[in-house]
Amino acid sequence: MNKKILTIILLLLCAVVAAVPATAAKKSLTFSMETEIPVLDPQKSNAAPSFTVISHVFENLVRRVEGKTIPGAAESWETSEDGRTITFHLRDSKWSDGQPVTAADFEYSIKRLLDPNTAAEYAFAAYYIAGAEEYNLGKADVSAVGIKAVDDKTLVINLKEPTPYFVSFLGHGSFAPSRRDLVEKYGAAYATDADKAAYNGPFILKEWRHEETKILEKNPGYWNADAIKLDKAEIMVIYDTATALNLFESGEFDIVDVPSNLFKQYQDQGTAKLFLNGALDWMKFNLRDNPAKPWLANKNFRLAVGWAIDRESYTLVSTKGLYMPALRFVLPIVQGVGSEYGKEYPLDFYAPKGDAAKAKEFLAKALDELKIKASDITMEYLIQDQEETRLMAETLQQQLQNVLGINVKIKLVTRMQRQQLEADGEFDTVYSGWMPDYDDPMSYEEIWVSTSSHNSAKYSSEAYDRFVQGAMVEKDAGKRMDMIFAAEKQILEDAPLVPLQLRRKAWMTAPGLKGFGRPLIGAEYDFAFAYFE
Amino acid sequence: MLRYILKRMVISFFTIMLLVTVVFFLIRAMPGEPFLSDKLTPEIRMNMVRYYGFDKPLYVQYLSYIKNLLRGDLGVSMHYNGIPVAKIIGDSFPFSASLGVRALGLAVIVGITLGIVSALNRGRFLDYFCVVAAILGVSLPDFVTGYLLQYVFSIKLKLLPIAMWRGFKYTVLPTFALSFYTTALLTRMMRASMLDVTTQDYIKVARAKGLGTFQIVMRHQLRNAILPVITILGPITAAILTGTFIIESIYAIPGMGKFYVNGIQNLDYSQVLGLTVFYGAFLVIANFAVDILYGVVDPRIRADRRDER
Repeated sequence: MNKKILTIILLLLCAVVAAVPATAAKKSLTFSMETEIPVLDPQKSNAAPSFTVISHVFENLVRRVEGKTIPGAAESWETSEDGRTITFHLRDSKWSDGQPVTAADFEYSIKRLLDPNTAAEYAFAAYYIAGAEEYNLGKADVSAVGIKAVDDKTLVINLKEPTPYFVSFLGHGSFAPSRRDLVEKYGAAYATDADKAAYNGPFILKEWRHEETKILEKNPGYWNADAIKLDKAEIMVIYDTATALNLFESGEFDIVDVPSNLFKQYQDQGTAKLFLNGALDWMKFNLRDNPAKPWLANKNFRLAVGWAIDRESYTLVSTKGLYMPALRFVLPIVQGVGSEYGKEYPLDFYAPKGDAAKAKEFLAKALDELKIKASDITMEYLIQDQEETRLMAETLQQQLQNVLGINVKIKLVTRMQRQQLEADGEFDTVYSGWMPDYDDPMSYEEIWVSTSSHNSAKYSSEAYDRFVQGAMVEKDAGKRMDMIFAAEKQILEDAPLVPLQLRRKAWMTAPGLKGFGRPLIGAEYDFAFAYFE
Repeated sequence: MLRYILKRMVISFFTIMLLVTVVFFLIRAMPGEPFLSDKLTPEIRMNMVRYYGFDKPLYVQYLSYIKNLLRGDLGVSMHYNGIPVAKIIGDSFPFSASLGVRALGLAVIVGITLGIVSALNRGRFLDYFCVVAAILGVSLPDFVTGYLLQYVFSIKLKLLPIAMWRGFKYTVLPTFALSFYTTALLTRMMRASMLDVTTQDYIKVARAKGLGTFQIVMRHQLRNAILPVITILGPITAAILTGTFIIESIYAIPGMGKFYVNGIQNLDYSQVLGLTVFYGAFLVIANFAVDILYGVVDPRIRADRRDER
């Protein structure tokens, strides 16, 4: 009798177990970033880790996904005939506390970004708007700024020049909306804790244990909530890259960046994937009048340096091939007219292996013009002292000395010192570079015009300026891009900089994780539409 | 005693003020400034400089910092934009202190015990064993011990979690890793000081009186031998409780250690100064506690203080 009952119970149990569906797909994602985010306040943020969280808890007017601009809080928008006025039509959407998202929220936030009292580092992002730069620099009143919420659902932005990439730039974290009432309520403490802000993005910041972890939960009130597959994402703070790697290998993390010194090992195993993270590094020359070192201002000398570098062996020796040779001035993977700029406008200005003969030719011309010998030439190379940079500097030094017979001195300083000396123009040559702020070659070109305050080389070319200014006002996309390409060729021929390398990063993901992106601009990670198979 | 305490407090106050002043001007003398980044234009940088009041003369900034400090305000961090430095310390110190207390407790118990055992077995196997272990402990850098323990116990044996701070079993490895050096240091000091005391006359007298070894060790030798060990406990406590960069980052513990490092790297003036004040105050208090402890252990020191009245 007892046995019978036992059998029946066991059978029932088996039936129950069998009825439960096979393992459901995982719905939570865990990974770590190397630093805690300094701020979540969109207008005060200045670093990729902050923008990563911001882009998941806030919804801008538009959203950037895999290099495309898709509607966000704005359902649609139209640009006026002259390209200078953009009208956005907002959809019905709500903040996490139930209040409606209005056009006034965006007007307030963008003006807040520009307010000199916000002291926002990314204020320049909004300089395309009429009157914006003047307001930010204290030369005009806020009423001069060309942005206005006509009603709750309509936002009109007036631009200084027709700027075709401006709408895509609005997907950047600095343009995420902040709620006026909350900013005023919390003051400087706004968005410094999870409960000191309201959210309108795909996720809500549920918990923020500083220096430890951030827990994001799916926002059920998000306008596009059906497209969000993850229920939860946890972003931990782990400074030590080896520890993060161990946690990934033990299955606790779903993605991890591979430390650059270990990438080869994981690449050989076939587990690591590589991607261009957007950084393009170059050697920048100081073109200021320098009677002691006249060669720096000599174009032929600079071209000789450019051709003397064997970028293939340089990247192989100094980074084991993680970085790729950069042969041109603009990052080739930014947006061109319809696809990647580098595919639409291919250019290998320098050869991957360099060309010693050509370098010597240019050097001979320079020596002739300057009436000196190669051994007279000394040149300091300013570089910030980091794990990887010493080897880079030494490799470059050796190549230049071998091919050209000049003296190259390496000056290692801290990052802060390098930035200060570079900004102050106190260098012969300096190792620096640029990551694009928006998906357009203009992000590279505008910083080299003669009036730009980023132009610490003091490069000044009428032709270059004319091409760039022309591209800034040109409405026709094709003609505009032609001018951009002309400007790129011009600056490479003038050689105020010599491109060195494109940075790649190695990373790994857990099996089955799909839809996880590594954006080029702003954020470092994009998991808004990620899911597990 | 009260007068002694008061006197110490006044001296401590001026010590900390001197420390703040020196650090204030030293960090300003460092090359670079907090608002440097490749993206920042000089005009926008000026906005930030004005926002934080760095356009005022240095002595004005100094006076206003001291004024705020006396009111207990450590200022806001520039890098962690808008977050008060006091909050940064308040959030992270409990983790560092919790780890520090465990590690210190372990180090004191194990270190002193091993020191005594080693001294009592001088020249025998146990002594050599302790000496070798102690030399290893002081010479192994903490990133080696940290990674080694993590590799063996978490990755290979899978006995303990790799990192993070979420309950008792998470604390085991970092506690051992952090206590390793201090244990070894205390073992060596305790051993040397025990051996030093052994040859003293009063020990010979005690032995001549026919006291047992246990009594001699506990009542005469230990009380005298432990004095130099107590001396170094002050600075050790301050150092170990206020966070260690390497162990905390290997085990992903959200403690204070990294702020010392990234504060300097980012030239976050208020963060560096705030931590200096905190660490300074902690050190002063720890040393003060050590002085009191002296009196408990050694009656002669108590007598000295009575004379001061």
